[in-house]
Amino acid sequence: MSIRVEVTYDMSKVLGVRSFELESAQTVGDVVEQTRTRFTDCADEFDKLVRVAAVAVNGVLVSHRKGMKTTLKDGDRLGFVKAAAGG
Amino acid sequence: MIKGYAGRVLEIDLAAQTYSFEPLDEELATLYIGGKGYGTRLLYDRTEAGIDALGPANPLIFATGPLNGSVAPQSNRFAVVCKSPLTGGIGNATCGGTYAYGMKRAGIDVVVVSRQSERPVRIEVNGDRDEVKFIDASDLWGKGTYETQEILGKKMSHAVIGPAGENRVLYAGIVSNERIAGRTGVGAVMGSKRLKAISVTGSRKLEMDDAEAFKKYTKETRAMFKEHPVLGSSLKRFGTAGIVNTTNGRGILPTKNFQRGHFDEAMSISGEHMEDNDLVGVKSSCLHCPVTCGRDVEIEGKGRVKGPEYETVALLGSNLEIGDLKSVSEWNYLADDLGMDTISLGASLSFAMELQERGMYDAGIRFGEPEGISELIQDIGHRRGIGNELADGTRRMSEKFGGHEFAMHVKGLELSAYDPRGSFAQGVEYATTNRGGCHVQGASMYMESVGPLTINPQNLKLKADIPVLMQNNACAINSMVLCIFTTYGMIPASVHNMDPDSFVHRMMTKAFENSGPMMRLGMGVKGQPMLWWEKWLTYITGQTFSSGHLQEIGGRIFNLERMYNLREGLTGEYDTLPPRMLNESTFEHMDSGHPLDELLPRYYKLRGWSADGVPSQRTLDRLQVRA
Repeated sequence: MSIRVEVTYDMSKVLGVRSFELESAQTVGDVVEQTRTRFTDCADEFDKLVRVAAVAVNGVLVSHRKGMKTTLKDGDRLGFVKAAAGG
Repeated sequence: MIKGYAGRVLEIDLAAQTYSFEPLDEELATLYIGGKGYGTRLLYDRTEAGIDALGPANPLIFATGPLNGSVAPQSNRFAVVCKSPLTGGIGNATCGGTYAYGMKRAGIDVVVVSRQSERPVRIEVNGDRDEVKFIDASDLWGKGTYETQEILGKKMSHAVIGPAGENRVLYAGIVSNERIAGRTGVGAVMGSKRLKAISVTGSRKLEMDDAEAFKKYTKETRAMFKEHPVLGSSLKRFGTAGIVNTTNGRGILPTKNFQRGHFDEAMSISGEHMEDNDLVGVKSSCLHCPVTCGRDVEIEGKGRVKGPEYETVALLGSNLEIGDLKSVSEWNYLADDLGMDTISLGASLSFAMELQERGMYDAGIRFGEPEGISELIQDIGHRRGIGNELADGTRRMSEKFGGHEFAMHVKGLELSAYDPRGSFAQGVEYATTNRGGCHVQGASMYMESVGPLTINPQNLKLKADIPVLMQNNACAINSMVLCIFTTYGMIPASVHNMDPDSFVHRMMTKAFENSGPMMRLGMGVKGQPMLWWEKWLTYITGQTFSSGHLQEIGGRIFNLERMYNLREGLTGEYDTLPPRMLNESTFEHMDSGHPLDELLPRYYKLRGWSADGVPSQRTLDRLQVRA
């Protein structure tokens, strides 16, 4: 099982990566927890950024599913996304 | 004359090279404000159905509104209105820069350019002397918009076209400074008149009903903007391209001619990446705007130039599967200098790439490969070779080469950079907007799929309501004339700063999702001005503008545009989305695409239109639309 995790730009500055793969995450909550563990040196900063970001799995916000308990399957793409405006 | 208006319309006859200053119609100004609304009324009244958009009977109308000429943030914009050569329906576009301010300083609200000149010409207007000069422009013909403006100098404010307008590229625009009235081919109409530039100057001051109140409130508004997460932070830091990672994460970033809504290299074309790697400065090219969403980047051989905005990085980046911001910046510069819309350009290029991939037509360009694109953009601007085909846009190309199901346009206007399969209200807006597939005639996506409200953008709740309210609002905004980005400030900072997964945020979202009737009722109340643009209008004109007043005026303008389109044969059957958007899914939980057939009847009902999309007489009477 492989989940592709894409982080916000601010997170990428903290974590040093734009995306990474997680092999054993079953839920969205697992992804957050495993990311914290994987980047343990910057877990506090990551936590702050997670609080102002929404989570989308394959483009759909998990707040419309089961939040942190939303289950994942092989090949899913999980993105942390911020509110923004363009034009 | 109502305060806020100069009170004059400049009528120019290019064929006879004559002009006159006529009084502004106060009744029309009251009904339509100015800008797009006033211009649409003039176009409707002065033209007959079926005129050639590139012929002498199509007037080119430059219109300002009562906010222009003031120092209100985001208020230096003008509207251009004419019949669109791209869609055959209503054509309009708005533009920042300095030209709107120049018009009001010259004491002119509206310029109507009629008929055509035999030779290239430019116009200089000195409002203080009531003088208009017709000057031979043969020496400027063929020059880019940047060089043209440099030659014309900084003493006057200019609106110019480049080679794309001269050659009647159907999506050519009109440029002021570094900004462009890009959509619907208004630059091609200016080119058809052989009008290279209009320059204006004057020293008249805007008269306000309550200048003190305006000044005090504008100061407060500037302070609010400064603290706002969008107007004072993200747009200022990253420009409009700061939204790339959000649309990508939400699965609505057009990729490979809208075959997908996600691009693996999105971060490389984002505003944040631009800030870290390419930015050489921040510059707002619109007067008096504290938002400063303009970016400057460095291009080899050209130096410091305007950087690409979101629509451009999406349509010329991800949509072509190009993740190289330097290439996108170069193409953006080329398009601006040639004077053409990067949205329609990007969609035409991606359509050509898909035709090539399917073996239907070989334009010599391929997804993911930047080779040949610069040359092709030049050829489009000059209508040379294959470029001549792409210069006609995706609809005409699909009629010639096939590929209707993946030609990404509505009513002939190419879709902008929000995939409606992940943004249902935006899809309804695309389908019904009178000028065609555009996002700044409402910006519904901000309320459902990219802004701080996390309603489900893929169910039916509010997805017909939001476009009606946002389109009406945008019609009013584009008639003041104000930048549509100002509406991003409607959602206060406190909501932006909330944890989107918190209980309070979720409850608020639920309440909003179920607020349809209340929202319509609330926005329809004619009370006292609450939002900044309502207060500015009130302080400047002395008339009262609240949300209810502006919803009514916006609805009036929208319905008049609709009547114009119906007169031109653009009936309800044109209120649709490209077949790819309706039939193909980019989301695993969806069997097909956008559910337009379920939403359109409700939209029509909310509008007071018949089942086939015709405004009822009752609706027209209620809104005082004479048609």
